[in-house]
Amino acid sequence: MPLDFALIAHQESWRAAADVLAVLRGPGRAPIPDDDLKDLFPWFPPRAVCHIDHRSVLGHSVHGIYIDSFIPPDRLGHEYRAENIGRVRDAAACAIKAGARIVSLGGFASILIEGDSDQLPQKGETVFTTGNTLTVAFVVQGVKKMCALKGRDLSAATLLIVGATGDVGSGCARCLAPLVDRVILNARNIDRLRSLGAELNAGGTAVDITTDLQQLSARADVVICVASLESPSLLLGCLGPNAIICDAGYPKNLSPLGVLEGCTVFFGGLGQSDAGMSFEPDIHRVLHHHPFPNVGQGCLMEGMALALEGRFEPYSRGRGFITPERVQEIEAIAARHGIHLAPLYNEQGSLEEAPCQTEGLVDERQIAGTSRAV
Amino acid sequence: MEVVTSPKCLTTSDADAACSTASIWQDVLAQAVTGELVAVLNYTSLAEIRQDPKEVADALEHAESERGHATAFTAEGKKLGIEVPNNVNAKYWKRLRSAFLRQIDARDFIGCLIIQEVMLESFAVASYKRVGQVAPGSLGTTFAAIAAEEEDHIDHAMTILRAARALDVQRFDDKVHELHVEVMGILAQMFAREDGDGHCELCHGSCVKQSLPVVGLSSSELRGASLQHYLRTLDLLGLPGEKTLAWATQLPV
Repeated sequence: MPLDFALIAHQESWRAAADVLAVLRGPGRAPIPDDDLKDLFPWFPPRAVCHIDHRSVLGHSVHGIYIDSFIPPDRLGHEYRAENIGRVRDAAACAIKAGARIVSLGGFASILIEGDSDQLPQKGETVFTTGNTLTVAFVVQGVKKMCALKGRDLSAATLLIVGATGDVGSGCARCLAPLVDRVILNARNIDRLRSLGAELNAGGTAVDITTDLQQLSARADVVICVASLESPSLLLGCLGPNAIICDAGYPKNLSPLGVLEGCTVFFGGLGQSDAGMSFEPDIHRVLHHHPFPNVGQGCLMEGMALALEGRFEPYSRGRGFITPERVQEIEAIAARHGIHLAPLYNEQGSLEEAPCQTEGLVDERQIAGTSRAV
Repeated sequence: MEVVTSPKCLTTSDADAACSTASIWQDVLAQAVTGELVAVLNYTSLAEIRQDPKEVADALEHAESERGHATAFTAEGKKLGIEVPNNVNAKYWKRLRSAFLRQIDARDFIGCLIIQEVMLESFAVASYKRVGQVAPGSLGTTFAAIAAEEEDHIDHAMTILRAARALDVQRFDDKVHELHVEVMGILAQMFAREDGDGHCELCHGSCVKQSLPVVGLSSSELRGASLQHYLRTLDLLGLPGEKTLAWATQLPV
């Protein structure tokens, strides 16, 4: 069977890693003990874990694979960067060898084409996308929807973006800056902050920049957190009452339990497919610990949407190229095939009035603290 | 099994370092020598079921090469004042040899190659490489050099195995799986974090695994590196990665 797409990702928690291996190990065998899991997992070479069929509401479907790079969930820090780039390159080589026509790079994997240099292996006919444009689309849609659900006027809001100079952060800034009263940009690189600030300011938006996460956070009404924070309390503890917080990082680790009463935390950047996906072996529920069926990270959904559209092109590549026009285009492509913003939820469950009670519903206790991607 | 408790440390600082950890190296070398001797037996058995004079000669040459490795490891032990024991009837090695002999009985040349060249050699190459990185002086050099030679063995066999797979992919993959369950199952038990089945009948005292960190090794690292090498070897044979991953996860822990 020809391979339309491949998704490259990694597990965001040891529990998620254990769940994936438990499925592969089969129902008749005891789970791998935690110590053994942590011993063995980092040694697995990147490879396909399952096959995926993604259907379009138009009636056709595309076939692909999910490749795990087996980056250990506790080795995402900077000190493991070189090692992890090696893993992702190996995973990319797997996708190329498998003949995938388009590859989405989820989580850390996007680093291969986000930086200044193209670190992909010899590609042949395979094209790569970070998938960040559709992630931005879903983050922006989610913010708008949550503001509407809470009766908040986005045009009067001060928007804080944490991790603002990255690909997703800057994309969100470009899309939302014209719609809000003021933008606060936070990141570590002051030069990039100045550059982005100047760009937004030239468009007529009032902009503050800061490398100190706690300095201006109290002013924010709406927060998009693109970076996974090592210490979420540094952000959550500084926010004012009634703030709306979109956790668009990977892994997602912002808990509604850590914020003031009246604040709302929700997971952003997630899409849902109306026509659905099927997995072989069936690790759907393991990869998608969401309280709704057929939900996945926007970055991975982008590759599948482009495959369904027959547009095998490196749609999202490099840092800083995501524009409102590109976001609108990918939204339209995804929507044509029934891929749209997922219902809003957080680690405590649905944030919408009528949660979807369908076959894919997962017990909320199962997702506490461990929502995960594809 | 003879135990040497007072190694004769003589000259260099490397040797001094090795001497202070002699009992650990003794156990490591005992496993290596025994593994090489099992390989000698396996290749000799293989020679007996082949008709083609060149194939017989190849198998005997391999047997001789493995014997040379065993001799080299034993000599390294002597440099440290260690008498390196061996025991091809030790629990796990005996089971591995028995598995190989079943393929000999069935006159299954491909089955023999899969066990010896893909499974046992993968573990040997990966383990020797790791040991070669940390063992002091000529001990490390010898492990690294033998790892490289063993890799050549694998390369030689890969051509034959790829051709066999091309003839009947399903049958070949089923055969690998069947042998994986048996042989890799034994190796997984052997390399497991703890000896569930009791003493391995080769280490001179308690299990050496707990002491490996003293010399810069760990049993988890040896197990992981070996499993990784094995999976990459199966990749080179063309077996689907998702299938071999599932097999690997199903091994005993």
